[in-house]
Amino acid sequence: MGLKPRGSELGYQVVIFCIALIVSISALFPLLYVVGVSLTSMPELISRNYFVIVPRHPTLSAYHRIVQNPTIWNAFAISVARSTVGPLLSLVVMVLGAYVLSVRTLPGRRTLLMLIIFTMLFTGGLIPRYLVMRRLGLLNNFWVYVLPMLPDAFGLLVVKVFIENLPDGLLESAEIDGATHTQKLLFLAVPLAKPALAAVGMFAVVNHWNSWFDALVFVTRRNLYPLQMVLRNLITADNFHDAAIDILGDMTRVDTVSMRMATVVIGIIPMVMLYPFLQKYFVHGVFLGSVKE
Amino acid sequence: MKRHAELYLLFLPVAVVYIVFRYWDISLGFVAVFKEMRVGQAVWTSPWVGLDNFRMIFANPNVVRTIRNTIEISLLRLLFGFAPPIVLAIIFHDLVWVRFKRVTQTLVYLPHFFSWVVLYGLVFALFSTGSGLVNNVLAGLGFQRVEFLLSTGWFRPILIGSDIWKSMGWGSILYMAALTNVDPGLYEAAVIDGAGPLKRIRHISIPSILPVIAFVLTLTIGNILRAGGEQILIFYNEAVFEVADVIETWVVRVGLGRFQFGVGIAVGLFQSVVGLILIVIGNAVSRRLAGRGIW
Repeated sequence: MGLKPRGSELGYQVVIFCIALIVSISALFPLLYVVGVSLTSMPELISRNYFVIVPRHPTLSAYHRIVQNPTIWNAFAISVARSTVGPLLSLVVMVLGAYVLSVRTLPGRRTLLMLIIFTMLFTGGLIPRYLVMRRLGLLNNFWVYVLPMLPDAFGLLVVKVFIENLPDGLLESAEIDGATHTQKLLFLAVPLAKPALAAVGMFAVVNHWNSWFDALVFVTRRNLYPLQMVLRNLITADNFHDAAIDILGDMTRVDTVSMRMATVVIGIIPMVMLYPFLQKYFVHGVFLGSVKE
Repeated sequence: MKRHAELYLLFLPVAVVYIVFRYWDISLGFVAVFKEMRVGQAVWTSPWVGLDNFRMIFANPNVVRTIRNTIEISLLRLLFGFAPPIVLAIIFHDLVWVRFKRVTQTLVYLPHFFSWVVLYGLVFALFSTGSGLVNNVLAGLGFQRVEFLLSTGWFRPILIGSDIWKSMGWGSILYMAALTNVDPGLYEAAVIDGAGPLKRIRHISIPSILPVIAFVLTLTIGNILRAGGEQILIFYNEAVFEVADVIETWVVRVGLGRFQFGVGIAVGLFQSVVGLILIVIGNAVSRRLAGRGIW
């Protein structure tokens, strides 16, 4: 642009640089700290007054204890199961709804759309939901994690907008060839909407992975608890040692501080691993399209 | 017409899951709220009690307290949480050092993907009384330790602070999108006219994100009776109920936990109805003032 570098411009850049730097350090620091503590033995923690980012004598003993624990693995398996089955089934519902509602000539389309949007604005509340789950026999049932999350109105709208914004004629040309809607859905809409489906699916995975509330309300059988629910019971315990005995059946004395922190890190790791894929999608802004509608 | 039949057939599974897992809750709620809910009795056979369940909301001082806490915490979240994403978006938009900007963005978006369980773990690591970093620094400097997690004075700052930490990066994305849609020529012209950075923010950046601000505000106002129960359920403890107990946590702990179904259902519907009314009003106001609503 050939602008003259002026004092106020440089000053402004310095100020916003500093704010951004402080914000990123504050975003990163707690994570580094928790990882640091989780790798440090109790004696070192105490001798260094808990101010540990880089341990002098790093030890994986806290992780060993957790990884060897069958309760954690069981919970991990439940989490993996709900985070794969759940999003896949949700995607089926979303793409069906999105495709049908993107057909502008469909009689009653607006009404159906309003009924779906309404579920984002109005809920029956927790207790009615509990009564419905009880009626359906879903209490203490794995499917209580999956089925109530199938009506994902936001995801459906995102996919619908994406399909509607596909270049004109892509879906219409098939019309001329005499393809049925089912064929168009399977062989045109699904492949073409892949970016939107991937984005929405990823976020469904995150939602499922991070959920614990449904386990708290609908599930009492501990062997059905997902990882976040087990982590919750450990992390929020007043007395970690007692909780470890109760929940993990771990009778040996543990470095409670580092083990609690190792529990937190285990809760973080899968999201950090998924993060690069997630970032690809939300930076693209697949989601923003639907907001503009 | 035959083609439409095929479409309705494709829509059938969608209709089923929305009816069973959304509209059944809603209709059951509207019936049960006018009935006396007894444990072990079906909703249909329970006796009608008119508005008794709603009256019980306001007759129960604990529930009234949760409503007050809910509104207070929501307003505090709005007050302190509203500006940070906007500031962040403007900073990201204006930073000229692109590589640094990318790294920063990557870092501040990340916590959005952590669960509240993990967030509490981080808060515990920093603020717990014995092993918490902050308290050990305080003790090292010769100060008294502070029971941050058990104190009614610190509960809300920690709740809201950690929420801002988690969500401000993600919240900035919406505003960023609005800012990137602004014609860069506007900024160039402003620079040529001698407008400094602050003037450009005031006259170009802020006006261009005004519709997004209206959008976010409308949704926030509509959720005023939802104070983030999932977070509080993890963060709170008996020592801080007085300032921490909100509608959502009360419904889980007492409504469901101690079988007070009637009041629990009534207060849940109260949340939804008030929320819907507020969002409709907010939408109308936003249309008038910002030229665009949320629908």
